[in-house]
Amino acid sequence: MTGPGDWVLLAYRLPREPSAPRLAVWRKLKRLGVAQLLDGLVALPLDSRNREQLEWVADQVVEAEGEASVWTATPAALAQERDVAAAMQAAIAEQFRAVIDQARSAEQADGRRRTLARLRRELGRIERRDYFPPPEREIACAAVEKLAAIDAEPVR
Amino acid sequence: MKWATRAGIHVDRTACAWLIRRFIDEEAEFVFVHDPDDVPEDATPFDMRGVELSHHGESCTFETMLDRYDLDDPALEGIARIVHEADLEDERFDVPEARGLDVIVRGLSMVAESDERMLELSGPIYDGLYEHGRRTTMLGRKPR
Repeated sequence: MTGPGDWVLLAYRLPREPSAPRLAVWRKLKRLGVAQLLDGLVALPLDSRNREQLEWVADQVVEAEGEASVWTATPAALAQERDVAAAMQAAIAEQFRAVIDQARSAEQADGRRRTLARLRRELGRIERRDYFPPPEREIACAAVEKLAAIDAEPVR
Repeated sequence: MKWATRAGIHVDRTACAWLIRRFIDEEAEFVFVHDPDDVPEDATPFDMRGVELSHHGESCTFETMLDRYDLDDPALEGIARIVHEADLEDERFDVPEARGLDVIVRGLSMVAESDERMLELSGPIYDGLYEHGRRTTMLGRKPR
């Protein structure tokens, strides 16, 4: 049985105004799929990409007159890691479910090809921040590729 | 001149090192460090937290370098868009090449035994991208 893994944490505080940098940072963190541990403390599983990305966000915070520091850490208990991972997985599952719903309702609709292209991009975005793949992932991929298969059928 | 960056180089740093050698300092010598404190005093650091030649605002380091060294070249700007998307993935530019470059460079870093070797392997990729960009500019369309 292995113990908890390594994580990279970003602790940050940004001035309330102006709101543009706050929004930019929030968007970036959302795109990275961080776990929000507390207000101003976010975490990602440690790998070189995640560490680098959080370091750039830290720089961005500092450039916007805020304070930020990046840490690597290990949860003290396996259960604690499990809780964080479960919350991240649930959030991602929700995003995959939205893709599944859209793919299924597009099956008989007009503009299927455009929907296919859009959903493939959306899937790519979600997969990039999916650190603990839920079962919904494969279902979502299959639902989107089914749209491609419909149009691949010979047209007469 | 001596240049320093973080060890374990990926797209932005390989592209910057290529840019430095080809357009800024032919004799460039690169040092790869694990901690910012290890940057030699006589080296210019790039793509590291808190230094001038690094990410600024929404720009990646390659974009910062083009700006700071006044490299005004459409082919380099094309590479900058690809590097930006491979590095930041913020969909600011529509460059599907970025995903491919990210995978290729990531794969190379798995077979290259050192960062020096990474530079040797990745350099020709950027030479090719640059030539492709140059011809695209000349022709006004993608070359075939």
